[in-house]
Amino acid sequence: MNAETGFDVTETTREGLPVLEVHGEVDVSTAPELRSKLLAVAQSGQKTAVVDLTNVTFVDSTALGVLVSALKRFRSNGGDLRLVVTQPHITKVLEITGLTDVFAIYTSSTEAAVGA
Amino acid sequence: MTTTGSPLAGRDDEPVAFVDRVELALPARPELLFLARMTAAAVASRADFGYDRIEDLRLALDELCLTLLGGTLDERRIRLQFRWNEDTIEVSATLEGGAVWESSAVTGPARDLGGGSGLDGTSGLDEADNGGLPTGEPTAPAASNDLSERILDALVDEHGFEQIAGTPTSWMRMRRSESP
Repeated sequence: MNAETGFDVTETTREGLPVLEVHGEVDVSTAPELRSKLLAVAQSGQKTAVVDLTNVTFVDSTALGVLVSALKRFRSNGGDLRLVVTQPHITKVLEITGLTDVFAIYTSSTEAAVGA
Repeated sequence: MTTTGSPLAGRDDEPVAFVDRVELALPARPELLFLARMTAAAVASRADFGYDRIEDLRLALDELCLTLLGGTLDERRIRLQFRWNEDTIEVSATLEGGAVWESSAVTGPARDLGGGSGLDGTSGLDEADNGGLPTGEPTAPAASNDLSERILDALVDEHGFEQIAGTPTSWMRMRRSESP
């Protein structure tokens, strides 16, 4: 875990889908690690994955760029990248950047894994 | 809203009286940007801004720095100046030892990012092909991050960019209450 930002990513599985649980602040400093984890999941052959942002306290444009880049990759392989967002200020960033219309957004990782 | 009217310190026609000022200088390294955000949050708290506006300022300050740096973080230094009164916080960010680019690239109305999904290959979100991360080559701010511009446009009342004696400087002004 990053001591200053509390950033950490752990991978679990829900309903057979990989779920990346992200903690702390995702900024220009920590986004590369998230990108690496997403890339590893995509390269493992998984078509769809979930990124759980429930415990994320901050996202900036670099974090959003990483998520959009990953979304493109998953969708180009016929899958999807689903987000779990419960924090109002994270939702706000997604809204003002227009990304709530781009991502499938859920309120729990279980719902995201099921896709309902 | 983006404007071209700079509220930077030292202007003779400065219309706003500020009650206090804080400055922070730090190396323009990714792992230190959190210090700038912490300072922004502390200043906003000191100015008695509410929680939501503190979060807005933290994010806006982060984006202001990213925009100033044009996607490149290195060993240059960022000097931040926070000024505030009971209604407004102003922040200027100066890049010391930085590249020179055209200020018109940043000031002016927000660019159209396509208005849609951002996945059609024509929008500003194409930057996401590298995850929006620094590429190592200096670029003009306008090309570096349209997401930053969109976030700044939404969160702050005014922001802009200009050269002061050849030094790149970004600034923003945020009021206590969100603009309707």
